[in-house]
Amino acid sequence: MKDFLRVFFSRPIPLVGLVIFAVIVALALLAPLLFGRGPFIIVGMPLLPPGAPGLLAGSDVLGRDMAVGLAYGARISLLVGITSTLCAVGIGVLLGAVAGYYGGWLDDLLMRVTEFFQIIPSFVLLMVLVAFLQPSLSSTVIGIALVTWPQVARVVRGEFLSLRGREFVQAARTLGMRDARIIFTQVLPNALPPIIVVGSMMVGSAILTESALSFLGLGDPNLLSWGSMIGGSRSAMWVAWWTTVLPGLAIMITVLALNFIGDGLNDALNPRRRR
Amino acid sequence: MEPLIAIKDLIVSLPPGADRAHAVDGVSLSILPNEILCIVGESGSGKSLTAHAIMRLLPRGVTASSGEILFEGTDVLRLSPSAMRKLRGAGVAMIFQDPMAALNPVVTIGKQITEQIRAHRAVSEKDALEQASSLLAEMGLKEPKALLKSFPHQLSGGQRQRVMIAMALSLSPKLLIADEPTTALDVTTQAQILKLIKRIQAERQMSVLFITHDFGVVADMADRVAVMRHGRVVEEGSVSDVLGDPKHSYTRALIAAVPRGESMLQPVAQDAPLLSVKDLAKNFRRGGFFSGASAVKAVDRVSLTLSRGETLGIVGESGSGKSTLARCVIRLLDPDAGEMLFDGADIAHMGERQLRPLRRRIQMVFQDPFSSLNPRQTVGEIVIAGPRAYGEDMKEARSRAADILRLVGLNPETMHRFPHEFSGGQRQRIGLARALMLKPDILIADEPVSALDVTVQAQVLKLLDDVRQQMNLAMLFITHDMRVAAQVCHRVMVMRHGQVVESGPTREVFAAPSSEYTRSLLAAIPGRGKLASV
Amino acid sequence: MNRLSYIGARLVKTVLITIAVVLLSFFLVRLAPGDTATVMAGQGGFADEAFMKSLRAEYGLDQPVLVQLWKYISAVAGGDLGNSFVRRQPVLDVILERLPNTLLLNAFALLVAVAGGVLMGMAAARRPGSTTDASMTVLSMIFYAMPQFWLGMMAMLVFSVWLGWLPPFGLETMGADYTGLARLGDIAVHMILPGVTLALYFMASYARLTRTAMIEVADQDFVKTARAKGIGEGQVARRHILRNALVPLITFAGLQSAILVGGSVLVENVFSWPGVGTLAYEAVTTRDNPLLLGIFIVTAVLVSLFNLVTDIAYSIADPRVEQGR
Repeated sequence: MKDFLRVFFSRPIPLVGLVIFAVIVALALLAPLLFGRGPFIIVGMPLLPPGAPGLLAGSDVLGRDMAVGLAYGARISLLVGITSTLCAVGIGVLLGAVAGYYGGWLDDLLMRVTEFFQIIPSFVLLMVLVAFLQPSLSSTVIGIALVTWPQVARVVRGEFLSLRGREFVQAARTLGMRDARIIFTQVLPNALPPIIVVGSMMVGSAILTESALSFLGLGDPNLLSWGSMIGGSRSAMWVAWWTTVLPGLAIMITVLALNFIGDGLNDALNPRRRR
Repeated sequence: MEPLIAIKDLIVSLPPGADRAHAVDGVSLSILPNEILCIVGESGSGKSLTAHAIMRLLPRGVTASSGEILFEGTDVLRLSPSAMRKLRGAGVAMIFQDPMAALNPVVTIGKQITEQIRAHRAVSEKDALEQASSLLAEMGLKEPKALLKSFPHQLSGGQRQRVMIAMALSLSPKLLIADEPTTALDVTTQAQILKLIKRIQAERQMSVLFITHDFGVVADMADRVAVMRHGRVVEEGSVSDVLGDPKHSYTRALIAAVPRGESMLQPVAQDAPLLSVKDLAKNFRRGGFFSGASAVKAVDRVSLTLSRGETLGIVGESGSGKSTLARCVIRLLDPDAGEMLFDGADIAHMGERQLRPLRRRIQMVFQDPFSSLNPRQTVGEIVIAGPRAYGEDMKEARSRAADILRLVGLNPETMHRFPHEFSGGQRQRIGLARALMLKPDILIADEPVSALDVTVQAQVLKLLDDVRQQMNLAMLFITHDMRVAAQVCHRVMVMRHGQVVESGPTREVFAAPSSEYTRSLLAAIPGRGKLASV
Repeated sequence: MNRLSYIGARLVKTVLITIAVVLLSFFLVRLAPGDTATVMAGQGGFADEAFMKSLRAEYGLDQPVLVQLWKYISAVAGGDLGNSFVRRQPVLDVILERLPNTLLLNAFALLVAVAGGVLMGMAAARRPGSTTDASMTVLSMIFYAMPQFWLGMMAMLVFSVWLGWLPPFGLETMGADYTGLARLGDIAVHMILPGVTLALYFMASYARLTRTAMIEVADQDFVKTARAKGIGEGQVARRHILRNALVPLITFAGLQSAILVGGSVLVENVFSWPGVGTLAYEAVTTRDNPLLLGIFIVTAVLVSLFNLVTDIAYSIADPRVEQGR
């Protein structure tokens, strides 16, 4: 653990990412306290530029406070990003572990399924799913989880497969350990690093996917998210750049921070000094 | 006579952060024309990097920081890149250890040979192919024309190495550098390649710099030999001088550590065998959905018996089925047919439930010291994992672990450390301790010393033998090295293509082998008879 | 012989994937609230009693599921993807009308992405750890983190609104009625912004993949052998390093095309490029479910075919490919 922390914090990039991410999380959590009236309240004239009295980030097409919108948007992005990733990782680890460890027809089946999801255009599938399930927060989370779990399963299956063949896992079998014990004490601790790295990257891409969905109008109609802010500002973009640029920057900075963290995790968890 | 190569005070530095500053620390050597010089040493001795330095093919970050390497009087280290390029492949050529990795997988053999020829001579592709074809024939390869159109993965290991040698000789270099060219090959193939190299050296009157870790190979090949350790030359001289009267203690230790192919052991009585295997069979299916799935008989009706207090050696080359057999005995694999009577019960097809209490009585030591221990567990956790799985008390297990670690020559104080903090030999000891904790009756050792340096190898072999005696175990010893088998095994069984070719007391099998294959295995032992008995 | 059976196996796999796509679509419809007819009628058709009746008959909703499934599969196999009530046209026709524009855009983007990415990756791999390398890594990370649609809008803002260099919307200049070469030129100019926007995300992944592949390959023994043979650095770089590094990129292109389609949906919308992507958006807003589903089926089949092509190309590039998996 000490080693891990030392390597993780040794480079500036993961540190920067962690700080930025912490700020965004704080903003998301404190939003209701700071902006109690919610993002849909009209506070003034539409399309006021940032710096106008009382409006840190200006106002949007309908005259709502952009800053409030950005703060509440953070809640949605983080909620969707983290929840859908947790679901995807949960399903993916379960199926991938079983397929990778036991092999056989289970593994064949899983491989076919993950290949299928790799080949078909998953965003279009997601659109169909969300459209048919009726756009809402839960359909977004479920949709993203359903479309991304195969990635996790593939990575987990690969790790379990390769670890199962390693001599120390074979040794565990000869020592009389039961399968469950082997999986939890021998295989999983060694498979965890790539899972963590993939997971952290997936939160970022889930946020991007959610923003794309809400940009197209497939997000929850009752909630304001960064993507829907951009989608709603299309007509005003040419005259009021902040209505488009700011939410987009918010997305980019959040995802970048997450990718920085993921990069740091990759370095810290990578057993390169394994001799 | 003017030396062909004169290395003077060569220092090769490693990048910052490595465990030592210099891989080669002030080495001076010379190679005369028309001679074979062997550099022998263990891992980390710097022998390979010295050879790479001559070709200026050092890896990224590693540099020849000081000294000279004179090739026919010109300092190679100070040559311009284009002059160096002209020298490579034409004046000096090199072949490497793993021929599969050393050939470009997506280019045909023919193209790989012709590109070398055409890089140095103005020849047409057609003519170059002709030359390539005759070179391959000279190397003893059949159907050279067809071979030219093949890809590396379609050839066997021995064929690939011959192709590498053909490539190296294509421009008649004055010096051939061979960096452990046979280490990755089967012992019979190794013998053929060594013979080939000796023949072409004599025919072309060129010099050969041969890097190896095996003194047996030195005895067979070298005119002169240099012993390296920790980046320095420890001893140097003609092969008869160094072998007959080694001056340095390290040289003596290296020579002594090479297992002699002579067995001193008497077989043990077989009246009440602990393990009795009859007609064991294990098949693997090859090919996917759309090919004709063919069954490979990895183990083909093998029978054996094993009694307490003896070591049975199972010897074979790669693909012989010896490892598969071992894994069937310990039930890491499930046999397809046959019976295995262990203390009266047939464990061949037993269900996992019934098998479990018996499992602890058959234990295994694995081959690869680097992957046989869980990198994320401490040594203590690894060693007590077995007893804990059987419900043993933690305190009890810990104290026994301390005793067992002492038994295998490790300090129990180091129990809290992680595997990567130990050397290869120490890790094998940990693996042995792990196996012994369950107080087994049978210990299976699957190539336990193949990945170790020869001096460490000797220690671990001795330890295994001592432990077997002390705990009155029965041991099944898997190896590809006949010399090792001779040293520790009472009886030996030779396997080939899944079948038992010959078996019997080691002394008898070695002295008077009845099968052709065993004879070829014995003939292939490097340095047989040339290394003085200890 | 090996290669032939490999291609045969891949063909079978493509067919199986197509069948799976159709099956999936069949079950997706059942996900939505209401019965199949309601879903397939969408918002518009719901009210029309006669239409609903004909739909119910067409889908055989009073018959067992397997019969419905069979009807559906045979319909799709025959090219019938249902009818769009909103547009009063067969779905397949609507899609085919717009498809060429999307294919054009995606092909252009793929070309730009691969060419640009490989060149960038090669430059970075030449001197790992240098400023070129580090800046390329940072640049790719930034492009990776940007929402594609937003990037498009930014590009439009900069290049069309502020600089006025490139046209912001559509396939060609409205009302200009160019023909022949002039028309091609006009379309090309309109394609630059959306094409490059679409390409940038993938250029980042190609660059990273090329860089990693080249560095890994450069460390392999056969590259050392090539140098030991006295071959010039240029040839070593081309025939040995690049040739081997490019092999995984071929399969990657196939897999990326699936994501490319998704990106296309977003980018086409931003730039009002009249392709299947904008069609999908229209389908969503007008609740034209048959059309949306049809788009899914068509794009899935096309991507699957493209993967077949790349896999065959891969088997030619890498002689080690055996049949089967």
